[in-house]
Amino acid sequence: MRQKSQNAIAFNESFKKRTNRQHVLSFAACAHCGTCNDSCHYFLATGDPKMTPAAKMDKIRQVYKAQKDWLGRLMPTWVGAKEIETDEELLELQDIVFGSCTGCRRCTFNCPFGVDTAALVGLARSCLVDLGYAPEGIKVVMKDQWEIGNQMGISKEEYLDTLEWVQEELQEEFGNPDYKVPIDKKGADFVYVVNPREIKYDPRSLQAAFKIFYYAGLDWTMGSEGWDNTNFGLFSGKADLGGHMGNLAYNHAKKLEVKRMIISECGHGLRSTKWEAPNWGKANPLPFEISSLLELMVDLINIGKIVLDPSKNPYPVTYHDPCNLSRSCGITEEPRFCLNRACVDFREMIPNRGDSYCCTGGGGAMSMSEYTGRRLEVAKVKADQIRKTGAAIVATACHNCVDGLSDVIKNYNLRYDYRDSKTPSLLRVCNVCELVAEAMVIPAEIKKTAAKAPQNAIKGKKVLVIDDEPDIIVFIETLLTDAGFKVVTANDGMTGLEKAKTEHPDLITLDITMPGKSGIQFFRELRSSAETANIPVFIITGAIDFRQLMYQKAVQAPDGFMMKPINPEVLLMTVNKILEKSVRNKTVVN
Amino acid sequence: MDYIVWKDLGPLTRLVMNQLHYLGLLFMIVAYSYKIYQIFQYPSAKEGTPPRGDHQKAIRYSYMTLAMPWELDTQKHHMYRYVEFALFHIAMAVGIGFAFILPMAHEFMKNSFIIGFSKLFFVLGFLIGISRLARRVYSPAMRRISTLDDYFCLMLLTLWMFSGILAAPLKSELFLFAYYFFATFFLFYVPFSKISHYVYFFFIKYYVGKHFGHRGTFPKKGSMPTVKNV
Repeated sequence: MRQKSQNAIAFNESFKKRTNRQHVLSFAACAHCGTCNDSCHYFLATGDPKMTPAAKMDKIRQVYKAQKDWLGRLMPTWVGAKEIETDEELLELQDIVFGSCTGCRRCTFNCPFGVDTAALVGLARSCLVDLGYAPEGIKVVMKDQWEIGNQMGISKEEYLDTLEWVQEELQEEFGNPDYKVPIDKKGADFVYVVNPREIKYDPRSLQAAFKIFYYAGLDWTMGSEGWDNTNFGLFSGKADLGGHMGNLAYNHAKKLEVKRMIISECGHGLRSTKWEAPNWGKANPLPFEISSLLELMVDLINIGKIVLDPSKNPYPVTYHDPCNLSRSCGITEEPRFCLNRACVDFREMIPNRGDSYCCTGGGGAMSMSEYTGRRLEVAKVKADQIRKTGAAIVATACHNCVDGLSDVIKNYNLRYDYRDSKTPSLLRVCNVCELVAEAMVIPAEIKKTAAKAPQNAIKGKKVLVIDDEPDIIVFIETLLTDAGFKVVTANDGMTGLEKAKTEHPDLITLDITMPGKSGIQFFRELRSSAETANIPVFIITGAIDFRQLMYQKAVQAPDGFMMKPINPEVLLMTVNKILEKSVRNKTVVN
Repeated sequence: MDYIVWKDLGPLTRLVMNQLHYLGLLFMIVAYSYKIYQIFQYPSAKEGTPPRGDHQKAIRYSYMTLAMPWELDTQKHHMYRYVEFALFHIAMAVGIGFAFILPMAHEFMKNSFIIGFSKLFFVLGFLIGISRLARRVYSPAMRRISTLDDYFCLMLLTLWMFSGILAAPLKSELFLFAYYFFATFFLFYVPFSKISHYVYFFFIKYYVGKHFGHRGTFPKKGSMPTVKNV
């Protein structure tokens, strides 16, 4: 017998300690019947026999068999029993449980026994993470959740700043200068708990939700703490982190004495906060209810607090069921209820609900850039599913899914012909609440009382646009100049870096795929130099691998991102948001 | 050829059919009791959150999915595999029933309908066993997940079914001996092998039903929740 490495010994030991009854049954019941093979998008897309759920789980099951199975201890080869022996095997296991399974549970739903592959993956992940075997993105996010309390390392100032920015935007939209986003309002009906992606990169879903709350006249609040509904305890298998994140949210909600906690549209956020973290953090029973924004919207529509006009969403819409919502939270009908009332043409994706395929971004996959290639390869199954619907818009109820599906659409070039432009456009991905907000009929009694407030503070700010495509440069330059910004341009990373030093821009828009110095290299160098480290960067790219900058954070993360093709409205919104926050911060510092 | 005369059976056949066979059954019961005891020594994952669905209904659904292939998306697209699975397991049940009823009611088992019925399922079990074995050997995905135990169990069951075809008419002591030899061997071997999955089935399905029922995911196509007051 080979000498086992120290890490292997530690892995085998912690594996033995953490195995519970449900794990044992999932290990022992598998009859290797192969029914699960066709349920897994990794196998369906690649045809690789190593990618069937049973084959992947056998890499974990072999340890169980070596430790507990009677024949496995007597005749290990006979039943494929083997403990982990080397560090290389640990790396191989890491590749399987982090890089080849999103824990979507589709195989569980298709297994005649219900073998819970995701639970076994969670068990293996927890043992690996303790030994430092995890993708860099997972480690960084875990650290941020432990130390800062949210997965994107957003400071309290930045969080409150974003809420203030959203408030100003909505004051303009509502025509109500007195509109306030309530923060820490004691005794409110509910506290709204969100995904940090909404704060850091894409506040459109925040704006949509706030708009719904405003027009429905709800009594609600945001929390100044414990506001992150995401939980890498689920993705890392670490119940202690899971409990910690849950307790941050629960404790603050208790302090605010709210009756309910509403979770924004986030699949694993709802699953963690409502179902897992109360158990992990021993927080049961909670003195308030936890529901999804989707459930709240159903109630609001049902009792007439919001009225929808579907003609405001005239294009065909389909719905992607996030795995965590459909298979682990039982949320399948609520989004359909909303979409059927908010859109003219709602089309089902086949298969759907509990049978839906993963967006390929689940299980923390979006934060593991080392597996991007594989993720996009196996996304073929999802791409085919979407293509068949013929929809222009893919609605979903999860921020991971929004990012995952955006990558799928980009990579498989899924387009919709609007017939009013020369070339069909890439499909749009959005949250359900955005479509509901778009379809809302504004109540007649709510009158706009103030004109749009001018944004003088950022007028004339200098933006450096870096892109190797001249057409894109001209497009962005025109948009920004028309909006009152000064624009300087560079068509490669090298020139960009020089101009960043000489022109002192207030913001840089950055492409990732460029000849010579890539956007990623440029970004790292920019952030590493004291002179340029604090210039806000807005990534505008067609490449998917930029996500490593968001999650691995070897340097401070970018301030915004958007995928090409450029949506002018989103571009201007993001530029405004970043610059306004930057101006505000400078004022506070001064 | 005439039926076997029971009192003329050789001592070895009698030993296997009676003493060893029942000893095997006793061993299996003891072994499974211990296995179940071992499983219950592991801590169970606890669920302390308020339920969204109906546990009892979900647990029933969880067990019933075995008979509802349309509830499993992959089965829906491979109905022939489901039919194969169902017939194979019925054949095994017939084989077990045959082995235990025969020593107690051998004259009754000489009924031509019972012989024909048993033979039909032994033939089906044998053919499906061959087909499953071929799939395990020829499909790279199945080969990848197959252990020596998987092949051994399937081969042995297929041979058992074959011996059942020959033994069912109750006209040859040699075939009857072979049939009981396999049956007795299984009683001793099964608690160690993957065939034990049928015992785990009852436990895992309970927990799966309870877990997904708690969250309102099972039964799979849930209805809308009741509207709450806002």
